[in-house]
Amino acid sequence: MVELFDRLADRRAAASHWYASSTLAGVTLGSIAVLVGATLLQVSFGAFPLTLGDAWGAVFDPRILFSFEAWRAFLLGADNPEWFTQQQHIVWNIRLPRILVGVLVGANLAVSGAIFQIITRNELASPYILGVSDGAGLVVLVVLTAFSEFLPFIPVLAAIGGGAAFLLVYVIAWKNGTSPVRLVLAGVIVGTVFGSVQRALFFFIDDLSTVMSAQAWLSGSLLNTDWGEVRIALPFTVLALTLAFVVTKELDVLALGEETADSLGMPVEKMRFAVAGIAVLSTAAAISVAGLIGFVGLIVPHMVRNIVGGDSRRLLLGCLFLGPALLVGADVGARLALSPIQLPVGIITGLVGGPYFLYLMRKTENLGEV
Amino acid sequence: MGENRMSGESGSSNESMGDGADELRSQPILNADELVVGYPSIDEPVIDGQTLAVPAGEVTALIGPNGSGKSTLLKGLANRLEPDDGRVLLDGQRVDSFESKELARKLGRLSQQNTAPDTITVEELVKRGRYPHRGFFESQADGDGDAVDEAIAMAGVKHLRDREVGTLSGGQTQLVWIAMALAQDTDVLLLDEPTTFLDPRHQLEVMRVVETLRDESETTVVLVLHDISQAARYADSVVALKQGSIHASGPPEVVVTEDLLADVFDIDAKVIETEHGPVMVPLNPIDANHPSQTGETEVLQRGDSSRNGQE
Repeated sequence: MVELFDRLADRRAAASHWYASSTLAGVTLGSIAVLVGATLLQVSFGAFPLTLGDAWGAVFDPRILFSFEAWRAFLLGADNPEWFTQQQHIVWNIRLPRILVGVLVGANLAVSGAIFQIITRNELASPYILGVSDGAGLVVLVVLTAFSEFLPFIPVLAAIGGGAAFLLVYVIAWKNGTSPVRLVLAGVIVGTVFGSVQRALFFFIDDLSTVMSAQAWLSGSLLNTDWGEVRIALPFTVLALTLAFVVTKELDVLALGEETADSLGMPVEKMRFAVAGIAVLSTAAAISVAGLIGFVGLIVPHMVRNIVGGDSRRLLLGCLFLGPALLVGADVGARLALSPIQLPVGIITGLVGGPYFLYLMRKTENLGEV
Repeated sequence: MGENRMSGESGSSNESMGDGADELRSQPILNADELVVGYPSIDEPVIDGQTLAVPAGEVTALIGPNGSGKSTLLKGLANRLEPDDGRVLLDGQRVDSFESKELARKLGRLSQQNTAPDTITVEELVKRGRYPHRGFFESQADGDGDAVDEAIAMAGVKHLRDREVGTLSGGQTQLVWIAMALAQDTDVLLLDEPTTFLDPRHQLEVMRVVETLRDESETTVVLVLHDISQAARYADSVVALKQGSIHASGPPEVVVTEDLLADVFDIDAKVIETEHGPVMVPLNPIDANHPSQTGETEVLQRGDSSRNGQE
């Protein structure tokens, strides 16, 4: 009899493990499908008329795929090979890198959003909750208004500004240690002040095109991204995401609250700061190349958690796939919907994100708890 | 056996548990030495210079009214609060000298209120109790699986293993958290009010786990209890706290008396000896300043309010 129960329990455990991994596989495969579909559209269509055959011929052109020279141009910033045709140039230097940047940005925002939701223990947290976006935005506005000679360094400066604002949030929140609530409140304080200064700076810009580019940056856009952006974001993305997967066990324990984490022998303050630092690095990598794209870092972790559950490792894996799928998918809309006018992708993600939360609000009672 | 075990005064009771007990008492595993602990935001320490010896392999219950410092003492013992003065020794070694994970392998603590993410399963939550046994890059340590299975079985939550934590009742949730603390596999386990807010059945289940822990794995358990009869029934020794000092400590039948209840809890109570240990029936609150005036004040207040009404 006991044996029977044990065997039943084993069965059930096996079934539940299968279910857990199958939901993750579902998210992964679904995301890949969306990503492939979006890639097909992005490569095939655009302002420059290319036939499907031309476009895809260029993508799978072995002369480029296996060309050391071409890849050196893409990844290390060397000059483009002279033998590039116009079609090859359009596909390889305009359409493909944009997709790649979208993938990197989507993965960064989704994973860092998941981390911030865990450390603040708030499902409605986003990568921008601890002041990163406000610091970066302020720096960008300052550069645009006063130091236009630093314009080429905007990605790096924005990332530094974001990191500095995060440290400021921590300093404000610190009083014999921090807590999720104090951190979030400090984020609000810094965000409010920096946001005001940011808006004030707009009045000092006389040039309309500068205002436009500032707006595009603040809404988040993949416009005009090329291999240069890939080169900036890729190393930091790889570093931040690798670290994020190293600390999933720590994230699991942090999610249980400070008291429990402490009783399990975790130095909570140090670990929270380190983990937040990883997420800030990841966010900064995204912001530096794409500006402040909203909602991706908020809804993707939320959706993934609803499907695969709260295990950090599975959550981050799901985000790693769904984030790029959502962002690249939204960018299809941003680029092609009103062609030839291109919208900032952040506008599309906001348009998708709002209704998703409306749906969630109607569906669930206890929205907001992790 | 009982001569220096129990005393009405806080001072002399301090020595009662460690040295005087040779025959049946085991060596203390956890010692608080002139411990002073409090919170950084409050000037006055909550526990001011108390000494306590927790015997190994036994169940020790902390009782006392709200705000008497039970939880604070527990946090002090677990090195969760840094002592302002004095020291806590675990196995003769200062608790603050342990590396944090090393301490967490020897001493576990379950706080009063715990919140887990709703969407993780019971098994995942219990697994997280293995954290102190894993190295930084290890996602799983040897013996994790067995320890988790054992903890789940001991806490009696096998049937809940694959349920999501958010779907459990209060009593089930508490048992699952206890399973997590059991998976931590420590020599000493500190439980802060593990039975408060639970229905009788789940209270019994929790206390059964505590008994099993002591009897089968020789774990030392220190727990805060609000239910004095429960403390008397399950604990090997009871420590009564009042206003941050240890008022009495010793075996339940010596500590849980009508006099002590009047002193410590300010209640008029009857203690009945039963085969399950002393059972306490609370009768009346004692108002030290205005004996038997409670009725009068009530009338006065009522008079006030009616006058207000007329105006």
